[in-house]
Amino acid sequence: MFDSFLFYLSAFLTCFGAVLVVLERNLMHACIYLLMSLIGTAGLYFTLGADFLAATQLVVYVGGVVILMLFAIMLTGGGLENKKDRLANLLSYIPPMGSLKSYIWGSITAVAFLSFSINITTKLVKSTEINGSIKIGPTVEQIGVKLLTDHVLMFELSSVLLLGALIGTAIISRPSKEIFLERK
Amino acid sequence: MTLYSYLLISLFLFSCGIIVMISRKNIIAMLLGIELILNASAINFVAYSRFLSGNIDGHVMSLFIIVIAAAEAAVGLGIVIRFFQLKESIHIDSAAELKS
Repeated sequence: MFDSFLFYLSAFLTCFGAVLVVLERNLMHACIYLLMSLIGTAGLYFTLGADFLAATQLVVYVGGVVILMLFAIMLTGGGLENKKDRLANLLSYIPPMGSLKSYIWGSITAVAFLSFSINITTKLVKSTEINGSIKIGPTVEQIGVKLLTDHVLMFELSSVLLLGALIGTAIISRPSKEIFLERK
Repeated sequence: MTLYSYLLISLFLFSCGIIVMISRKNIIAMLLGIELILNASAINFVAYSRFLSGNIDGHVMSLFIIVIAAAEAAVGLGIVIRFFQLKESIHIDSAAELKS
């Protein structure tokens, strides 16, 4: 009972947040809705039995990445977007795609995509029974062992990647001397 | 709570990310779309690991995805802030130097 409630709540948060990221005009609000979607994703990890991953998702994304994005939005002053820039209300007009051939290929792609999603949806509806409750065991120990035995190369490479990202960001985002003197 | 429900949620997240990346003209909003896409792939990894294989390799892959997403967001936002200092705009059409 609680498992299915948690799953439906997380799925609703994830999908609703993603839709609102698409539709929201104000960028700050879109960032907050992305936060909602990420929290829903953490709940989905929890229903999959991945407790460490859910905690990491909450710490890294909610505590780090979204705050970083909010600060970047505030630093660039980009709150509102122009109305004519948005294609968010996609159905209100036909986008000018070009020739007739592109319309035909676009419609074929849309039909293929729709049939694919409808296929998945029917399988979902057929198999909505809940198979067992969530098995929440501590996965931290297994993940630690895996990280230092099987995936040790990727572990070290990700540390190098993080160091490179740190130094690169510090170098890139520092203003050059000319601009600094110009502003003075 | 079967594999298909998780795959459907992941498909939905991926589509929303693609729509955000295509339709928005703001560079930071495109970064939001990239975050959505990375989340969709991480959900796929964990769902397959739970329902098909049973071991924990998918969790490790999702951890690496989270690490790479954090690094990508840091570098991307650094570039965006630098771009804003140069151009006074973060509209995507302002970055047209490479267009011939």
